[in-house]
This record gives sequence, C-alpha cells and structure tokens, in this order.
Amino acid sequence: MTDGSLIALLVAVPFAGAAAGFALWSRPQALKAWTLLVAFASLAGLMTIVGRFDDPVTVPLFLPLLPLVAFLTLLGQPAHLDNRAAWLLTLVLLGLGLGVLAGEDGVGLILLVLFFGLVGVLLYRYRSVSGAVPWWGIGTYGLGMVCAIVALIAVPPVSSVVFLVSCAILLPLVPFHGGYVAAFRGLPGNLPAFLAVLLPSLGFHGLLTLIPDLSESTVQTLAILAVAGMLYGSLKALVQSRVRLLLAYANLSFYSILWWHVAATQTVLPQATVYLIAVGLVTGGFLLAWHAVQARYGDVDLRGIRGVAYLMPRFSILVFLLALAVIGLPPFGVYSGFMGLLLAPALPLSGALVVIIGTMLAACWYFLGLTQQLLFGPHRPDLRYEDLCFTEAAALVMIVVLLVALGVAPPVFWNPAS
Amino acid sequence: MTALILVPLLPLLTMAIVTIGPRGSQDRRAGIGVLPLVAAWAGAVMIFVQVVSQGPVSIRFYEPGSAASLAFPIGFYFDRLSATMMVLITGIGTIIYRYSIRYMHQERGYARFLALMLFTIFVLLCMVSSANLMMLFVCWQLLTPLFSMLSHRYEHQPTLDGAFKTFAMWRTADMAFLAGIVLAYALYGTIEFQELFARAAATPFTLSPLPGLEVSGATAVTLLLFIGAMGKSAQFPLHLWMPGSLYAPTPVSALMHAGLVNAGGFLINRLAPLYGQSETALHVVFLVGGVTVIFGACMMLIQSDIKNTLGFSTIGQMGYMIMECGLGAFALAVFHLIAHGLFKATAFLNCGNVIHKARQDPVWPHAGHLVEEHELPRLTWTIGFVTTLLLPLVILLATHGVLRIPLLESQGTVIFLLFAWVTSSQAILTLTRLRAVASWKVSVAMLLTLFFVVFTYLFAAETFTHFLYPNPEDVARYFKAAALPGRLFDALVGATTLLMILTWVYLYAQAHGRTMSMPDWVATPRDRLYVLFMNQLSVDVLYAKLGRGVLRVAHCVDKRMLGRVP
Repeated sequence: MTDGSLIALLVAVPFAGAAAGFALWSRPQALKAWTLLVAFASLAGLMTIVGRFDDPVTVPLFLPLLPLVAFLTLLGQPAHLDNRAAWLLTLVLLGLGLGVLAGEDGVGLILLVLFFGLVGVLLYRYRSVSGAVPWWGIGTYGLGMVCAIVALIAVPPVSSVVFLVSCAILLPLVPFHGGYVAAFRGLPGNLPAFLAVLLPSLGFHGLLTLIPDLSESTVQTLAILAVAGMLYGSLKALVQSRVRLLLAYANLSFYSILWWHVAATQTVLPQATVYLIAVGLVTGGFLLAWHAVQARYGDVDLRGIRGVAYLMPRFSILVFLLALAVIGLPPFGVYSGFMGLLLAPALPLSGALVVIIGTMLAACWYFLGLTQQLLFGPHRPDLRYEDLCFTEAAALVMIVVLLVALGVAPPVFWNPAS
Repeated sequence: MTALILVPLLPLLTMAIVTIGPRGSQDRRAGIGVLPLVAAWAGAVMIFVQVVSQGPVSIRFYEPGSAASLAFPIGFYFDRLSATMMVLITGIGTIIYRYSIRYMHQERGYARFLALMLFTIFVLLCMVSSANLMMLFVCWQLLTPLFSMLSHRYEHQPTLDGAFKTFAMWRTADMAFLAGIVLAYALYGTIEFQELFARAAATPFTLSPLPGLEVSGATAVTLLLFIGAMGKSAQFPLHLWMPGSLYAPTPVSALMHAGLVNAGGFLINRLAPLYGQSETALHVVFLVGGVTVIFGACMMLIQSDIKNTLGFSTIGQMGYMIMECGLGAFALAVFHLIAHGLFKATAFLNCGNVIHKARQDPVWPHAGHLVEEHELPRLTWTIGFVTTLLLPLVILLATHGVLRIPLLESQGTVIFLLFAWVTSSQAILTLTRLRAVASWKVSVAMLLTLFFVVFTYLFAAETFTHFLYPNPEDVARYFKAAALPGRLFDALVGATTLLMILTWVYLYAQAHGRTMSMPDWVATPRDRLYVLFMNQLSVDVLYAKLGRGVLRVAHCVDKRMLGRVP
C-alpha cells in the first residue's frame, strides 16, 4: 500500500474543495463550476498517482472512477439554489470514499465509520424529502458504523464477519439493504446518483479483501441470501411506481447476482468489476434523468407523466439507451459483465442460474414498462415539456459512452496485471 | 478476404447517407441510399459464388478460446448457408427499403425509421454470417429492441401494447437462448461452432435436472436454444406477439415476415450437427412445429383482416418450417423459408396497395368478378380426390419397403414426399374454388400442380439439400436421428389421409347441395373450437393470469413488508 501522505492528499483535495466552496454559497453557478473543477482536479491528480498503488485490480479502477462519477453527476445538475448542499456533500463523500479505498486497514476503517455516520446523518437531515424519518436506513448505517468499529478493534474471525456485514450494507444484500434503499429514496440532488456508484464500489472493495478468509458456512449463507435478494428485489421492483425505489430494488437484485457469483466461485474476475461499475453507472444515469424530470415537474410518480418521446427527444433517446443497457443488451457494460459472470470457468451449474436468468427477465419487464410509460402514450396537455439542457444531456451522453466503452473493451483492459 | 465483411457493413453506409445531411436533401439522400444496398446484394452474390467455388471463408477479430473475448467475439463465417441467407436478406432488404422511401414519405421520424430499418438489415447480415454462437446471440438480442423500436408509435395504445408484448416474448426466448449458451459453454468449454459440434459428439454428458429425469447435454442445450428460436419464429406458445406486431407500418411487417421470423429456421440449420445428436430435441421441434401449423392455419381461416390473415399464415408457415427441421430436413426448411420470404414480402408490400385501392374504389376488388358457381364438377372432384390420395399411398409403400425409389435414402425421400403431399393437397384444394372454369382445365391444373410440387420437392429441394449439406452421410444421419417411430409415422399419415378424405366428402356434399348431419359429439366441439380459435386458444388470457399472479405475489410481499422491512 502507498504511504500516508498520499492518502491524506487524496482525501484533502475534495475536502478542501468542499470547504472552499462555502465561499461561493450565494452564487450557485460559480459554486457548481467550482465543484466541477475540484472533481476534475481530483480525477487528474489520481490519474497521475494511480500506478503507485499495490492493489492490482480494484483500487486503480475505482479511484479514478469515483471523481469521474462525481464530475458527471455534478454536471448533470441544474444550477439551482436547492442543489448547493448536495454538490458540497458530493465532494465530502468523494473524499471519504477515496480515503476508504486507498487507506490502509485502520485508516480505511476509521474513514468508513465516518462515511456511515455522515450518510446516516444526511438521511435524518433530509427526512422531509421522503416525508418520514427513514429509521430503517438510519439504523442500517448505524449498524454499519458499529460493525466498522468492531472490525477495527476485534480479531478474526469476528472482525471478518462484522466487516462482511458492513460490505453487505454498502453493496446491498438482503437483509442489510435498508440503508441503500433509503439513500436512493431520501437524499437530495445528485447524491443518490453519486452514491449509486460509490456505495457498491466501497462494498465490493471491502469484499475483495475478505474472500480468501470466507468459511464454507459463510459462503453458503451468502449464496442463500443472494438468491433471496434476487427474488425479493425483483418482486419489489415490479410493483414500484416511484422511480427511485424501483431503481433501488432493481439494484438489490442486480448486486445479489454479484454476491451469488462471488460466493459460488470464491473469486473475482475482471468481468465482475465491469458488471459492478456498469450497473452503478446506468443506475446513476437513470437517477440523473429522473432528477431532470423532478426538476421540471416536481416529485411525480410514474403515473404522473408520460408521452415525452416526441416532445423531449434528447431525454427520450438517452433514457431508452439506458434502459437497453440496464436490461443487459449489447453493446453496453452490463451485458459484457453479466456474460462474463455467467461464462466464468469456475461457475457451478445450479438452480440459482435459473433465478439469475429470471432476475434479468424481470428487469426487462419492469424497465421496459418504466420506459414505455414515461416515453410513449398520450402526453399531458397541461404540462410544458422542456427537453434536457446542454449540461444535463452531456452528463447522460458521457455515461452512455462510458457504458459502451465498458461493454466493448476487452476484460483484460480492466486487469492492470495483464 | 477481409474485404468480404464490407458486405454486411454497406447498409450502415446507407444509414449514414440517410441520417447525415441537411433536411432539405433528405429525399435525394434516401434515394441515393439504395445504391449501397444494391452493392451489398451484388457483394452477397459474389460471396455466394466464392464459397461455392472455393469453400467457406472465416474472418476472426479475436483469439478463439480466449476468455477475454467471450462477450464480444467479433468474427464472420461465410459458408453456403450464410451466403444464401445474405443474398436473400440483401435482396429483400433492398426492395423493402426502396418501398419504404415512398411509403413513409413525409411521415414523422422518416429518417429515423429508415435508419432503424437499415440497422436491422445490418444486424441480420451479421447474424447469419456470425463465426460463433456468442456473436450470433449478440445480433439475435439486438433484433429484439430494434424490432420493438420499429413497431412503436407515439400515442397509439394498441401499437404500444403490441410492441411491449413482442419485446417481452422475445426477451423471454432470448433468456432461454442465453441459458443454452451458458450450458453449452459449461459442458463443452467453447462457443465456436465447429469445435462445439466436435466436442459434443466426442464427450456426451448426462444431466439430471430433476430427480429421476436424465437428459443428454446435447438435448438440454438444443432444447434451450430452440426456445430462443421459438420466440423469433412465432412458435406456439410464444407466438402471441405476432398479431399485435401487425400494427407496425407495412414495410416493417414485410421485413418481419420475410426476414426476422426466419431467424429460428436459420439458427436450427446453423446448429444442425448439434441437433443431429439429439433425437429428443428433434422430436420436440417436430411437435412444436406441428402444433404451430395447426394453430396458425386454423387462426388464419377465421380472420377478417388482410394483415391478420397474412400474420397467422406466417405463423403456420413458420410451424411448417420448424416441423421440417424436426424431421431432419434442415435444408428443406431453408428452401421453404426462402420461398416463403419472397412470397410474404411481395404479399405484404402489395397489401398496402390493395387497401389503398379499396379505399379509393369501394367496389374493388369484386368488380368484374363472376359470381362463383356452386357446383363442383364430378371430374374435378375425382381428379382432386385421386391426386391428393396418390402420394400417401406411395409414402406408405416406400416406408414399408414395398416401393424402392432410387433418389435418396428412403427416409429422406419419404419426408420429402410427405411435405410434397401436404403442399400439393393444399394447392389442389384451393383449385376446387375455380368453378367457373372448365372442369378438364381445372383437372389438368391439379395434375400439373401435383407434378410440379413433387418435382420441386424431389429434385429442386433435394438438389438444394446437396448444395447446403454436401456430405450425404450428414444428411442421412439427420434423417435417422429425426426418424419417428414407424407406427407413429403410419398413424400420422393415416390420420392426415382420413382428414383429406373427409374434406373431399364434405366438399362433394356441399357442392351438390346436400347437408351433412353432424352428431352432437362432433357439432358441439366444433362450435367450441371455433370460439376457442377466435380467442386464440385463450393463451394470452393464460399469460395475463400468470402475469397477474406474479404481480399479486409482488404486491403481497410489498404490502406485508411495508413499514417493517424496506
């Protein structure tokens, strides 16, 4: 692992940027430009030092990914007074996330405790957005804090088990998915879109360190929970009329596939990383697109708006492409990652494969339903339809391009050891 | 050799010409776009000539066997099958594109529509020339959203419902296809066609999906892949998307019925060596095809709308094609799909004109037609009766070794004769409608039809079989694997013969003004069957119930957990 000063630098750039951003609080346009600049600077800085990390797989991938996603989600936001806090919090969470990824065991865990605490506080602070206090979510992040603290002070196997629970909170797994759902549902601005990539990345990174130490019984338990998560997530997503919740439960089912794969093969292939990043990106894209709708028409559900295809062509094309990506169609990253998981050499043939394929089929059903409901049908004459502005469209276009790049790039590209 | 891949890429050039440029020159650009498509057709013909004279050509942009390129192993394999399909697709594609330029002129989203159609042609060309199972699957999947997009209309709810149904059905089939690939890769460790066939033949696996149930690896793989084929080729019970998709513009229907639905037949042909290793899979294919034929034909008879009639006719024809595959006559299925593709493209492209003309001239098309005579001449009836029952006699004699026909192995000949019989009988029964024409002329026409159909099947189709599958041992092996038990085959021929005799008796009685009193046990089910077919056997109701059931469970889960578990 790299030295402490490097980690401090990684964390310091976004933190300092967030602190300096307060000076621009009254000028949203300038504040947005500043946060974009900080995210970009963080990305540029990381690109120069990423080769110095010992971790061969995930750290060099996730470290540049996080500021990139922060940049994209910030770019896709309208410069509005209500979004200011979300922009600064994005930088703070980015700093913590980078610290968790790059920090050595102790430092990383301390930052993880802070991360859980901050997200829990944010859920409480923004409770009014969702209408009620999301106790499940706050409790789950509280549990995450406790687990991270215990992992810090305890010895194996206790530390491994509690750290696994922390990972299950970040990379959602039944029954620890409450925090993930609450974060999608309740947080304002671009935070859900950013967390859609950040949370799973942190969880997956933690999981990687645990895989060699997982006992047989733990692996079996994980496999059972993963299958339950696929079924539960799919069923819940099928009946959601709120887009954010639909996306949260869809992600639960998608990431359960990843959990099952890790449990069944006890290895992590580059394709698993591709799958994780692609699912995160496409979800972030959807959340950004939906935020654009909410910025125009308020907190509507799926029945509140439809028929935008002809009147909002940019929005419609991008949402349709995201829908194709998320249901696992080529040439997007979800397809490549998913195929990579299924064609893994060590994959056992079991009944869970039927559930996995059923999960993807269910995703086709509800995502196509979402897309058709939103884009087609008679439009509402009482609404003024306004297409995506340049920055909103640019952010989504870049996400789609990244998804295609993930899809068509050979998996060896993602494995620096190769 | 690498230049050959330009042929599939040429539709993309047309797409670029159509979409890039000022709006004012859109019509001119669309017209110019025909040229690359014609060039693609000419290129396909050249490939055809080349593979016939010099053998298959393989172009790969990946390392076979490398796990790194599993998701996108881009490669092309041009053999006789793919070259034949390419000529068909580029030919029909060019005609449909040319037709669309006028048909969709001044429609909203004109350029986008043409671009999507051209991209679909490109994907179809890549699919038929895929070098491996994964690339075929990539193209196969891409057809699903492409057709769904082509079928969408902004605000027309029945079209949207149809597009949703099509997407859902195709995606379900795609998932089975995916499962087949995963299983094939897990068992045999490759997605390369030739290697897969060789390994499946060399190392037979036995799987036990349920206690007490054992299936061979080849059977499991081929059955899963066949479900994939069932979706695209509208096989019962995955046919429900077809009627709903007919709301799409006529060029889309033409492309669908002449091109996309043939994907199933192509897939089975491409994997013929694998299917040839599983008797069970071939029998299932035959059964599904047979049920689809009956269903499609019965549904077609009760339609009152020209596009719906053509749609159900396609379902029946696809069933026929799949049935041919199930009997081991793989090349015959390709022969059939080419003939059907040409016919159906013509029919669909023309039906718009018919409707248009009928709207302009309300008395058309009946004006000038003579009122049909009701009497069926005795000579016509007798000739028809004898000609339609001549072939089953030959078939039964050949099956039991009484008659030796030196054309092919007897099983192959029998299969060809069987299809010749069904086809000629269909045509001969249609000829009985010509009551205003002299009976001797109709009788001669019936005899000529019989000879023409028999000639086509026994010589043209057989020659085509030798063309596609040059090794006679392979052909014999497929027929052997697909052979039905002797008694079952006799029973099938017998039952069809009986049905034929009853049809002739009914025709005779009807033509001579005689009523046939039906016993209740025949009349009541007949009426019920009519209602049942009117409701498409209520399969869509069953699907809807299944969907509602899943949603009820999901709502139940959601409500019970509400407030307690997120």
